[in-house]
Amino acid sequence: MGQRVPFREGLFSEGADDVCLTGNRCRKCGQIYFPARSLCFACLAEDLEPIGFGREGTLYSYTVSYMPSLRFEAPFYAGWVNAREGVRVFAPLVIEEEAQLIIGMKMELLVAELWREGEKSVVGYKYRPL
Amino acid sequence: MGMTEALRDVAVIGGGMTVFGKFPERTHESLGREAMLAAMKDAGIKPKDVGFASCGTVYGGWCVGQRMLKEVGISDMEFLNVENACASGASAFREAWLRVAAGQCDIAIAGGVESMTTSPVAGKLIPPPPDDVDGQLGLTVPMFFALMMRRHMHEYGTTPEQFARVSVKNHDNGCLNPYSQYQRRLTVEDILASRMVCDPLSLLQCCPNSDGAAAVVLCANEVARRFTSTPMVVAASILGSGDYLHKWEDATFSNMSHKAAMAAYEMAGIGPKDIDVVELHDAFTVAEIMHYEDLGLCSKGEGGRFIDSRGPWLDGTLPVNPSGGLLSKGHPLAATGVAQVVEVWRQLRGGAGKIQVSGAKTALTHVMGGYVSGLESGAISVHIFKI
Repeated sequence: MGQRVPFREGLFSEGADDVCLTGNRCRKCGQIYFPARSLCFACLAEDLEPIGFGREGTLYSYTVSYMPSLRFEAPFYAGWVNAREGVRVFAPLVIEEEAQLIIGMKMELLVAELWREGEKSVVGYKYRPL
Repeated sequence: MGMTEALRDVAVIGGGMTVFGKFPERTHESLGREAMLAAMKDAGIKPKDVGFASCGTVYGGWCVGQRMLKEVGISDMEFLNVENACASGASAFREAWLRVAAGQCDIAIAGGVESMTTSPVAGKLIPPPPDDVDGQLGLTVPMFFALMMRRHMHEYGTTPEQFARVSVKNHDNGCLNPYSQYQRRLTVEDILASRMVCDPLSLLQCCPNSDGAAAVVLCANEVARRFTSTPMVVAASILGSGDYLHKWEDATFSNMSHKAAMAAYEMAGIGPKDIDVVELHDAFTVAEIMHYEDLGLCSKGEGGRFIDSRGPWLDGTLPVNPSGGLLSKGHPLAATGVAQVVEVWRQLRGGAGKIQVSGAKTALTHVMGGYVSGLESGAISVHIFKI
């Protein structure tokens, strides 16, 4: 197995036994961002503190794409998951069959391979039913 | 005094468009020439009458307005070319309206042109911007609408059949409109049995990529009757953009569309109950259902029941997309917003043929789009017209 690299830096953290989406919060006005921003769009402050959005979320909506997209072969599952702090996240879903999915169900975050680039395994966040 | 009080009334006095469809052998110049000439002849104007021209295109390249209008005798004056994704044509129309309203000239021409079959995205999906995190994770435009559709079903009990009925209606209307790309009646069963694109959104619930052009002639209302006995007054012109996604909690309701519509009603001094005919942005069936609600044509969550009531059908209480809409008439991106104005111009002057809405005196056009990472959508435009 080759090198394991995130598809983009700064979107999630992986601890020894926990994974978490990461963003930031404006220290001046409290506005929350995912992905993290270097500038608060509400007050233009540049002083933002990192925050995590936890592992759990709630399924807001889902779909199965029967068309391939840039990196994914069809069919693939994806959805919108509401994480902590009112953040809605688009992510691939890991499930056995569509019947498993019910809007409003609890979901948990995992970090897994999205695609391979040569020897490299490119990883990102996904959700699966809890 | 607010800006709108300082402006002159402006009327549409002519319109023209090409048939929409797939014409890989035709250039932007060829499509644009046909629409521009049709609009000028309809208005009864000569090239020297035109004081300003604006033209929308997304994939048409530079100076598209000059390239089209030089073919019909218009040159050596102020041209402005506009890109605002699917709202490019409506943005060009608004700019021409503003120039005439402000008194810069008495007559302006606005157009939109697109050749999707010769564009870099021919036969493909319009890709998300390369910096878009969701796009990297697989999000496509049809997926975005499928997610909204599934949530609408969950929140309001909207059924697959209700969404399919939007496509049935618009294809029925398209069969009666000679400018429509598709001339084919479909049943709910046909639509639900068509290839699944992003569940629950099937292929016949998605608009095609098309080629075409449309143009309209605008004129200061005080002199409009020199050219036509039926000037169509621009009662409201609104252009907006989407807010940050973190402010968009309810994905079954388009905030940007609602906001633009409310501003348009306020500017026109009328409400949704006073509108006789609507052309709206039905890029997907779910979009039309959502826009019934955000434009105030029915209550929130009632979109499915509104289509079942036959209200938006050609013979209903408020016909929506009598032209066939994007679903049947087709969607040459920047031409769409101008073509909607051409369609309602024909409606309000009583020249819409088999799709005529009897006695229509007021119309609303609505167009939006443009995938911008982190925003609800790129651009939105709503216009209201009176005769």
